[in-house]
Amino acid sequence: MRRGKFIRKGLVAAIVGSIYVFLLAPIIVVAGASFDGGKSVAGRAFLQFPPSNLTFYWYEQIQPRLWDALGVSVAVAMVAAIVGTLIGVPAALGIVRGNLPGKTLIATLLRAPLQIPFIVIGIAFLQTYYFFADFLGFGLQGTFAGLALGHVFVATPYVVGSVGATLQRFDVRLEEAALSLGADRWTTFRRITLPIIMPGIYAGGLFAFMVSFGDVPISLFLASAKYTTLPLEIFHGMEFDFDAAVLAISTVVLFGSLVVLYFIQRLVGLDVLLRTGGNG
Amino acid sequence: MRANWTLVLLPPMLFSFLLLGGTQFLFIRAGFYEDLGIGLMGNELVVSNYVTAFTDSFYLDALILNIKVSSIVVICGLLCAYPVAYVIARMRSQQWAMILLAAIVVSSFVTIVIKVLGLIIIFGSDGALNQTLLALGLIDEPLQIVGNIYGVVVGLMHYVLGFMVLMLFSVIQTIPRSLEEAALIHGASSYRMFMRVVFPLSLPGVVTGALIVFNLCMGAFVSAAMLGGGKVLTLPVVIERTVVLDLEYAMGGTLSAILLVSVILINILSVWLLNRFRKARLVIT
Repeated sequence: MRRGKFIRKGLVAAIVGSIYVFLLAPIIVVAGASFDGGKSVAGRAFLQFPPSNLTFYWYEQIQPRLWDALGVSVAVAMVAAIVGTLIGVPAALGIVRGNLPGKTLIATLLRAPLQIPFIVIGIAFLQTYYFFADFLGFGLQGTFAGLALGHVFVATPYVVGSVGATLQRFDVRLEEAALSLGADRWTTFRRITLPIIMPGIYAGGLFAFMVSFGDVPISLFLASAKYTTLPLEIFHGMEFDFDAAVLAISTVVLFGSLVVLYFIQRLVGLDVLLRTGGNG
Repeated sequence: MRANWTLVLLPPMLFSFLLLGGTQFLFIRAGFYEDLGIGLMGNELVVSNYVTAFTDSFYLDALILNIKVSSIVVICGLLCAYPVAYVIARMRSQQWAMILLAAIVVSSFVTIVIKVLGLIIIFGSDGALNQTLLALGLIDEPLQIVGNIYGVVVGLMHYVLGFMVLMLFSVIQTIPRSLEEAALIHGASSYRMFMRVVFPLSLPGVVTGALIVFNLCMGAFVSAAMLGGGKVLTLPVVIERTVVLDLEYAMGGTLSAILLVSVILINILSVWLLNRFRKARLVIT
């Protein structure tokens, strides 16, 4: 009996361990291979992992094109997160606090963008821009605004979801106390409501940022030669000729993501992030 | 007071609904124009694109392949994610549980293209896995994983696993441990305890998680395109080629509408099945 239990525990540990290896290995391999000094072979051949000799050679080889794309990606993701927050927070407040008929339907429709495959969203926005271009003589296709609008569309539901979840746990009596002690409604919102829902806003905005930052299928249709995002550059780089500097800039992004995660963990704790993940 | 919140809700609601309704309506409408190729469309609304999509086996096969791959990933994903989520939820040391969860969050947080890049380095024909297996003498020829359906399944698994673990973890965590102890004390074997207590209680979470993951897989483009090496033609990959390579905008709209409707239909069907299933269980027990 005891031995059976021991074997079973070992088996479970082995399964769980190998799943963790599967999940983390690609990330470690990309970072590791980017420091490899080995020769770059044309086509699909790759640098070695583990690296044979450590260099920063590939980091010096990162072309301005890739840095530009990184800049566009960060800018688009920031617009998506900020505009998504500006739309998502009042939407969540209205849904949770308000008493509009058809509240569930409204909430479902606000979350609808998450149900639509991203590639369909990309096509839909492109078709829409073309449609208006026919009428007005100019369209948003290929512009920064056009690219960002598509990202705002998918970013907003994350903010609605996470702020909504925070609001539902909110103790309304705190607001009532402030109001009865003479604070006006705006002061109550600013001093009581906002600080309490702030973790939800951070988490939602952060999720919105990451979803936008990592997107390929929407940008695929909305980006242009002038405004292209880094994931799209990496994607095209993989399809055509492979440049080892892509591994280097990917590693830069990896470290950036880790730093962001660390600050979020300090700021609101990982559990907020976990909850948002569950809701999204 | 109530009117107040309605006012707060109205502007963001109108903006969101306009974007949702406008873009969805316009692209579905575009799918009904005759596709003249090279970016040109006819002026009349016709159903010819839909006739093509449902009679040409190329498009039909893409949809079937899409459903097949997504189902495989959902099943394999559940089988892999459940033990991980269970172990973390039942861990004695809170600190270790937190570390394991953090590792999942880190891996989910990383941009999918970068993870796929790593997967290609590992699973490619001259990648780390093949080199190791060859060196160990376990295989004579490199395994072909990237560039066929296995590669796509591996990529999609990586895409959804972390999410699935977090989802299942949050459900299993809410099942009181005392229920398990009670079952064990009354003489149930661990297997029986799991099948009769833990699994049924976690079923709503399992189904919700499976549905969301199925949706993600149906629409997944990056993993399918990069790890399929252009040879695994799931519907999202076909849509991209139709629009970007063939410049068939109307046909792209048609195919996107078919993808969207099939995702919605499958979701409705699963929810309906689940409700029936629940009722049936009530009658039996």
